[in-house]
Amino acid sequence: MEIIQKSAPHLRKPNANVVRMMRDVVIALLPLVALAIYNHGLTAVWIMLAAILSMVGTEYVYYQISDLVNKEKFKLKNKNFTLYNYSVMVSGVIYGLTIPDATPIMIVIIGGVIAVLLVKLVFGGMGQNIFNVAAFGRAFIALSFGAAVGVANFVDSEVGATVLGALSASPFADITVNYSLMDMFTGIGLPGTIGETSAMLILVGGIYLALRKSFDVFVPLVYVGTVFVLSLAVMVRMDLDWWYPLTHILSGGLLFGAIYMATDPITIPVTRPGRVYFAFGLGVITFVIRLFGQYPEGVVFAILIMNMFVPAIDYPQWARSKFSVRSAIIFTAVVLLTIMAIWVGVTYVG
Amino acid sequence: MIAKTKKISNYKQLKKELPTTRYVDPEYVYINMDTQRCKTCGLWVQEGDYVKLGQIIGEREGGFFKQPVYSTVSGHVEKTVRKLDSSGKEVEFIKIRNDFKDTYDESITDRPESVIAKMTKEEIVEIVKEKALIGLGGAAFPTYIKLDTKEDIHTVVINAVECEPYLSSDYRLIMDHPEQVFKGLQYLMQASGAKQGVVAVKKTKKELVEILEREVERFKDLNIKIAKLADFYPQGWEIETFKGATGIKVPIGELPMKYGILGFNVSTCQSVFEAVKHNLPVVKRYVTVNGDAVNFPQSIRTRVGAQVKDLIRLSDGYKEGIDKVEVIIGGPMMGTSVETDDVVVTPTTTSVLIFENIDYDEEPCVRCGSCIYSCPVDIQPVSIMNAVKRNDKKAIEALEAKKCIECGLCAYVCTSKIHVTDYVRKGKKLIG
Repeated sequence: MEIIQKSAPHLRKPNANVVRMMRDVVIALLPLVALAIYNHGLTAVWIMLAAILSMVGTEYVYYQISDLVNKEKFKLKNKNFTLYNYSVMVSGVIYGLTIPDATPIMIVIIGGVIAVLLVKLVFGGMGQNIFNVAAFGRAFIALSFGAAVGVANFVDSEVGATVLGALSASPFADITVNYSLMDMFTGIGLPGTIGETSAMLILVGGIYLALRKSFDVFVPLVYVGTVFVLSLAVMVRMDLDWWYPLTHILSGGLLFGAIYMATDPITIPVTRPGRVYFAFGLGVITFVIRLFGQYPEGVVFAILIMNMFVPAIDYPQWARSKFSVRSAIIFTAVVLLTIMAIWVGVTYVG
Repeated sequence: MIAKTKKISNYKQLKKELPTTRYVDPEYVYINMDTQRCKTCGLWVQEGDYVKLGQIIGEREGGFFKQPVYSTVSGHVEKTVRKLDSSGKEVEFIKIRNDFKDTYDESITDRPESVIAKMTKEEIVEIVKEKALIGLGGAAFPTYIKLDTKEDIHTVVINAVECEPYLSSDYRLIMDHPEQVFKGLQYLMQASGAKQGVVAVKKTKKELVEILEREVERFKDLNIKIAKLADFYPQGWEIETFKGATGIKVPIGELPMKYGILGFNVSTCQSVFEAVKHNLPVVKRYVTVNGDAVNFPQSIRTRVGAQVKDLIRLSDGYKEGIDKVEVIIGGPMMGTSVETDDVVVTPTTTSVLIFENIDYDEEPCVRCGSCIYSCPVDIQPVSIMNAVKRNDKKAIEALEAKKCIECGLCAYVCTSKIHVTDYVRKGKKLIG
């Protein structure tokens, strides 16, 4: 028998592990995958497969090559191969679900390969990526191939007008004439990307993750809350009805992005106040793009833009793990100023 | 997961209510000459000398105080040897062969209650100083310095929280000798001039609360109350205990005396009773032997100076079929792991834990933030870790790594099983 010397603490929390956290996200996404297949049939199957396999495959090949370069013996099961902790799998599933159904498979694969390679592997693999992999892949194919495949509003849609597309075309016309709020909630048969349309199933997944404590529930709450408050301001200012804020929350990629992409812990700040600022920023950018921007949807861009601010939010000189009175006052002031800016700015829309 | 963790789950499923054995007559005892606070020592006896129980055999010197060294048995002095003390450091020990007679030194005499009642603060402080009483919770800070404070003290808090899992030596002490704890508290209140005494325990330990409440009835005129604290970790940390027991928030880095509070561990309190009443130094103490790799976990009333390997032998030894174990002196969260079981029980040894060794695979940090949410002093362990990796001293300082109390929660909750606490320790060292 041997006595091993280690440093304290000598206990580890039994159910705290990354694999469980990532696996939970995959489980939470399963209903959405099922709905995507129900809505779009084989097309959805191919897109999902292409998205997942392109990402997982890229990571596998990359590590095999880097092992060869380091003159290590070839093994079929790579030691770095991070499939076992589901992290790249999560990226793949999320990426696949954000893709419109008219997208050619080739483009899906290119997006997946580029995203994993440029955002994750080049920066040092798991835990080092500066952007959300899925969001980057999504934005990459939208900007690079949007015109090439002849889809008008590639950022948000398949062929045909989506809810947000219609809202973007005529910002304050009552949308519920064409799309009922109930349809937006269940998401069945609604045009849009293959996995983002059902608010109901996204919420079910979100509740599951919240109960399992596998994500920080503050991020989606503040994110969606910000969009709600800002659209509420517009509603009051433009004398609209309740359909306006509800449409903003239920349609497009907001709920999906808030629950599955904005909560990816690797690319968000680490402190609670930092996460609140981050989620608030997401809400503002998303809403500004939707209201003033050319694209009908801004979730993916908001996430990528705010990802860039993470090192600044986490900067050691000012990042604190609790709200101080001073930071709370400043933050409240910023929130009020933003609402005022939207209040004034909305009159210039259209 | 990604949330504040306040409880250490008992996933090893060990019991806290353990049977007690007495082991007060080891053949040899080892008295440590140096401690973590006293680096040099003068020895007043030589090989072959006969010493009595409670006799002064030397004097330790810490920077600003001196501390007599007492023999805990009567017998013959043998050679000095080098062994590990409870902090895992190798120090010099003087070996004394027990003659099993327990012949007391002439100075060990009982004081009648009537004499004690007339004692002034200076007299009690003098006894506490002379008997070399130190913080027995593990800090080993000389008790007399605390007690000799010039500040106005209104409350004496006795810390019986014992928040680390698997420990039960303080629990055992209160179960067996509640009246000694209360007497000790009485003397401490007398010395400090405090109007109020508080005994802080976890409210989940119902038996303790019951026993203590009966003692409160018995010592009615003393104004002692029982503070029943919630069961979370690190509730036994001084500042958390004071907050729970008195409602006063002592800022980190300031002395609680400034806020009128004096805090003592329950074992220290009992040792004050022994010193004032019987004029005894710390001779015996409770040590918990627990863990999933020991055959018969139990509490042991042992002589100070006994050997840990004897305590393990008394608990029927290590379990068969386990080839790697950890031997931990102290609690599982903050205790020291030692490289051998050839360790001596010093006054600050609260427990010996023997765990089956588990090697955790560290995965890359996913910045989940659990360590930040769980940190009791509100610093950012993960950011400190990253700063340590970059060797960025400015950032470590800005992140207030100095505040860390090394409670171990950050490593405990880590989803990637990274030893975050170690990185923070390194950070503290880097900025000195």
